[in-house]
Amino acid sequence: MKNARITIIFLLLLIGSFLTLAGRCFYLQFCKADYYLHAAASQQAFTSRRPQRGAILDSRGRMLAASNKIQIIKAEPRIIDDPKEISSQLAPIIDVGAHEICKLIVDRRDSGYVRIKVDADPCECTLAGRIHRGIGIESDWQRHYPTGPLVANIVGFTDPYGRGLEGIELKYNTELSGSPARNVFFADVRRRPICPKAQEGVLTNGVGIILTIDATIQQFVRDELMKRYQEYEAESAVAIVAEPKTGAILAMVSIPDFDPANRNCDPNNFRSRALTDWYEPGSILKPFSVAIALDAGAIGKNDIIFCENGHYSGRGFGSIGEYRRGFGNLSIAEILIHSSNIGMAKIGQKLGKEKLYEGLTLFGFGERTGIELPGEVSGLLRSPDTWDGYSITRIPWGHEICVTGIQLIQAFSILANGGRLVQPFLVRAIVDQDGQIKELKRPPPPVGYIIKPEVAEWLVNEAMTRVINEGTGKRAKLDKWQVFGKSGTANIARSDARGYSERDYMASFMAGAPADDPAIVVLVSIRKPNLSLGKSYTGGVVSSPVVAKIIERTLTYLGVE
Amino acid sequence: MSHFRFVFVVFCFTAVLIAAVYLRSINNRLFYQLCLCNAERDQLKQDLGTKQLRLESLINPASLSERVAPTENDE
Repeated sequence: MKNARITIIFLLLLIGSFLTLAGRCFYLQFCKADYYLHAAASQQAFTSRRPQRGAILDSRGRMLAASNKIQIIKAEPRIIDDPKEISSQLAPIIDVGAHEICKLIVDRRDSGYVRIKVDADPCECTLAGRIHRGIGIESDWQRHYPTGPLVANIVGFTDPYGRGLEGIELKYNTELSGSPARNVFFADVRRRPICPKAQEGVLTNGVGIILTIDATIQQFVRDELMKRYQEYEAESAVAIVAEPKTGAILAMVSIPDFDPANRNCDPNNFRSRALTDWYEPGSILKPFSVAIALDAGAIGKNDIIFCENGHYSGRGFGSIGEYRRGFGNLSIAEILIHSSNIGMAKIGQKLGKEKLYEGLTLFGFGERTGIELPGEVSGLLRSPDTWDGYSITRIPWGHEICVTGIQLIQAFSILANGGRLVQPFLVRAIVDQDGQIKELKRPPPPVGYIIKPEVAEWLVNEAMTRVINEGTGKRAKLDKWQVFGKSGTANIARSDARGYSERDYMASFMAGAPADDPAIVVLVSIRKPNLSLGKSYTGGVVSSPVVAKIIERTLTYLGVE
Repeated sequence: MSHFRFVFVVFCFTAVLIAAVYLRSINNRLFYQLCLCNAERDQLKQDLGTKQLRLESLINPASLSERVAPTENDE
C-alpha cells in the first residue's frame, strides 16, 4: 500500500515536471519567440569575403588591370584607452611616425575603424597584431594598373570598394566582380566569433577579360600622337587603329589622358573621346559620299564635274568655296585628290538627300556602333525631312553632320573590307581564373554589303591611293607599303555665336595599308591645333605624318610584307 | 571473476578515453598545420601576385618605351 502511494506520488511529480517543462517550452516558443530570435541574431558575427576582381588583359596576354591581396593594419579607436602609448609602440614596427598614428586614432575617436597602414608586410602584421586588441589586421584587394595612362581611357578604373567607375571596369563590372560570400559565426557578448555557424553565398572570383587592344601598338600610337599633340599645343587628340577585316580595335588613344593610380586631374580626361566626342568631320567624309553616289549610280567613275573655278553659289544653298584654289573640270578621283568642296556639293545634288541619308546611315553614321565601352554617343545625322539646300551641298563634304572617331573607323573599315559590313569590337574573350576561355565575344561575321565591292575597291586602290601619291595625303606616303587615305580639315562651330570659328579647326587624317590587302586602318583627329604657333592646321599637314608613323611601326610590328 | 571484469571494463574505458584524447589532439594539430599551410599558400600567392604585377609594370610597352627613349636621344 505504502509502495503504491509512493509510486503514485512519484508519477504525479514526474507528470507535473513534464507539464511544467512543456509549459515552459510553449512559453519560449510562442510567447518569447521574437525576443529570442532577436537575441540569437545579435549573437552572430559576420566576416565578409570579397572575391578577387578579374584581370583585364590585352590581346597578347599582357596585364592591363589586376587585383592583388594586401594586408591592412587597422585600429579600433573606441577601445584604445591610451592612443599615445599604442602609437609609440606601433611606430617602430610599421615605420610610420607615432604622431601620425596617434592623430589618425584621436581624430576618429568615436569610430570603430581606421586604417593605419595599407599594404603592410607579414612581419609588420604579426608584430602589430600583438600590441593591443584595438590594433588588428585585415586583408583586402587592391587594384593595379601596370601600364599606367597607356590604356586608362579604355580600361577605366574602380573605386576603393572595387566597383568599376569608368571604361571596361564599368561596362563589365558584374562579370569582373564575381560574387562575395559571408561567414556567419556565433559570437560572445563582445561579438567575438566563437565558432562558425554558416556561410551565406558562394565565393566566386571575377572572370578575366581579354581585349583586342595590343599594348605595343597602343604605345606606338600614344607615343606619336602625344608628340604631335604637344608640338601643336592642341586641345585634344584621338587616334584609333583597327583591323578592317574583323573590326577588332588594336589601339585607341585619347589625349589628354590620366594615370589610374593618381586621378587628381580634370575628370574630362577620364572619357574616351573617340566615343564620347562628336565633331563635324570635314573632308574626311568625302570618300563615303562618293562611295554612296557611285553605288547608287548617281555618278560614274569616269564622270567629269565642273568645279566652277572655286566659287559656286546659287539660290537655296548660299556660296561654296575651295580651301586654297579653284578648279575647273575634275574627274571623281581628282575631286577626292584635290578635296574639292564644290565637286562634292555637286555630287550631293546629283545624289539627292534621301539616298545620301540612307547611305550614310548604312555606313553607321547617326547611330552608336555598339562598342563595349560606356558613354558612346550616336553623333548627329538629321532626318532628311529637315534638310534644306544647304544640307545637301554641305553634308557630302562633312559639315552639318557630326560623327565620332569610332564611327569614322567603322565606315572606313567597310571601304577597306570591300564594302562588307564591319562591327568594331573591343573585347575578344572572357576567361575564367585558370585562363580557360568561357566566352568568345567576337561579334558574328556580318553578312551583306553596304556598297558594291567594285566601288570599294576603286576607292581604295585608285582614288584614295592617288590622294596619298598625288594629293593632300603626300606626307603619309610610305616606301614599303602602298597607303590609301583621305585628309580632312573642318572648322569648328562657335559655341558663343552662329557660324564657324576661323581660329579653331579639327585636323583629321584617315588611312589604311597595304592598299591591295588592307591589314590596318588608322584615324587621327587633332582638335584645335594652336594657330598662333604659325604652323599649319590642316589634316594633311598636322595629322597625316602621325598616321604614316603609326602605320609604319604597326605593320613592321605585325610583320606585314 | 567479477573483480577481473570490473578491472577490464575500467581498463577499456580508460583506453577509449586516452585514445579519444589522442585522436583529438592529432586532429587539432593537423588542423593547425592545415591552417598554417593555407596561410602560407595565400602568402605565397600574394607574393607571386605582387611580383607578377611588378614584372608587368617593368616589361609593359609603356615603361620599356620610357626607358629606351633617353638612349635613342643620347645617340
